[in-house]
Amino acid sequence: MTHHQQSAFTVACQECSVDMEPDSANEVVDFYRRHRRQTGHDVVLTRADLEFEPPTADDLVTVIADLENRYENGVPIGIVAATMSERGFSVGETLDEIYEVRMTGALYEPRDDHLAAF
Amino acid sequence: MTRWNNGRDEVEPVSPDITDETNALPARYFTDPDVHEMEKENVFGRYWVYAGHANCIPEPGDHFTRSIGDREIIIVRTQDGDIEAFYNVCAHRGSAMVEETPMTDPGNASRIQCPYHLWTYDLEGELASTPKSFEDARLNPDLEDEDVSPVDPEENSLMSVHTDRIGPFVFVNFDEEPMSLAEQAGTMKTELESLPLEEYHLSRRIVSEVACNWKVFAGNYSECDHCQTNHQDWVKDLELLDSELEVNDYHWILHYKHREDVEDEMRIHDEHEAKFYYFWPNFTVNMYGTADGYGTYIIDPIDEGRFQLVADYYFRDPDLTEEEETFIRTSRQLQEEDIELVERQQRGLNSGAIAQARLGPNEHTVHRLHRLAQEAYEA
Ligand code: FES
Ligand SMILES: [Fe+2]
Repeated sequence: MTHHQQSAFTVACQECSVDMEPDSANEVVDFYRRHRRQTGHDVVLTRADLEFEPPTADDLVTVIADLENRYENGVPIGIVAATMSERGFSVGETLDEIYEVRMTGALYEPRDDHLAAF
Repeated sequence: MTRWNNGRDEVEPVSPDITDETNALPARYFTDPDVHEMEKENVFGRYWVYAGHANCIPEPGDHFTRSIGDREIIIVRTQDGDIEAFYNVCAHRGSAMVEETPMTDPGNASRIQCPYHLWTYDLEGELASTPKSFEDARLNPDLEDEDVSPVDPEENSLMSVHTDRIGPFVFVNFDEEPMSLAEQAGTMKTELESLPLEEYHLSRRIVSEVACNWKVFAGNYSECDHCQTNHQDWVKDLELLDSELEVNDYHWILHYKHREDVEDEMRIHDEHEAKFYYFWPNFTVNMYGTADGYGTYIIDPIDEGRFQLVADYYFRDPDLTEEEETFIRTSRQLQEEDIELVERQQRGLNSGAIAQARLGPNEHTVHRLHRLAQEAYEA
């Protein structure tokens, strides 16, 4: 890609050896979804320049509750993926985990692809 | 002539004949979100579009899904061995049924079952069973059980999508009364069907996202005026001046002659050349001159400024040899070089300066692409 500024995120599929620099964190998740639809492959964030120190908690709900202070109306799901990638989670693993927790009712989406904790 | 957006130049239709005038498709068709929406119907809703490879679903019940524009479909091998396509939409209350299942990782099911209320369809798409709650009226005080009318399996079958094939390549068409695939494919069908395409298996899929309109990439694929300067590693094994670009109704073929030292048994076809077919609107078949295998591209639009390049590689044995791995890497290098070119072209188009480009005499293939697009838009 030929960007003039380096984007804050790079997402890559190791199996395809392709990567892309999304314009926003949630684009990471859109890329994952499209890529998975075609290939079944998981993808990883190879660069995530968060503008803050990511929370250190281990469980997803606490992480999201922590991040919620920084965002109005929910944490972008891509920011959650970026935070979890610091802990070695792929985008697919994070999304699976979010799904599991959401089904328990501990998380909800104040708007599409934005998360908040109960 | 080139037309600039300086307030004076008006665009004109794509020239009917490239021998006298050379107007390209006006630039806004490569950058306008409304055009992208319109193409979902006028292009991808009307012509035969590649869905996938029959070898990936050999057994009854094997299936994969595809999204074309906004439409989600299931492609399934039926009980008697045919391949059919259905909208991935339940006849009961319209739920999507099957989870996304890529061609590289197909699913198998003896029935198609909707997870919502468990309506279940056979592999031919006919409703096979409904749960007990659709047979009596337990919860409805106004209705006696014996007055419940049974659900007719035929009237409640899945909505099917036209499918047809060129050898193992499965195509779908969403039009109610499409032209036949044979008509759209012309000689390409007979040429490809004379080759043992089904003896080869999918061994690799590489998917990339590219920041340009799908037609920008299609145009780049269709000409080789940029090869000498931009694909220096590749062209050193080619006789570029002996190459030929052949135009047909809905497809064009790029014939690239190799220098003499390519081993004869190293390719699926006899000719001493690589043959790249572009099939309108968004499919290519790549017959390499230097490998016993072939490839396909799907040029899948995401929006007006992005598409997914789905590159599939087929070899006799799905497990790749080291040579084949190297071959794919070389092909990938070519893709990278082209991606740089097309993303740069898109940047130029996005700037809004150019209103309409002009085509060169050896871009008659690109001209065909632009003519077909214009024809589709006007229909
Ligand atoms: S919507 Fe599919 S069974 Fe009800
Ligand atoms: Fe090229």
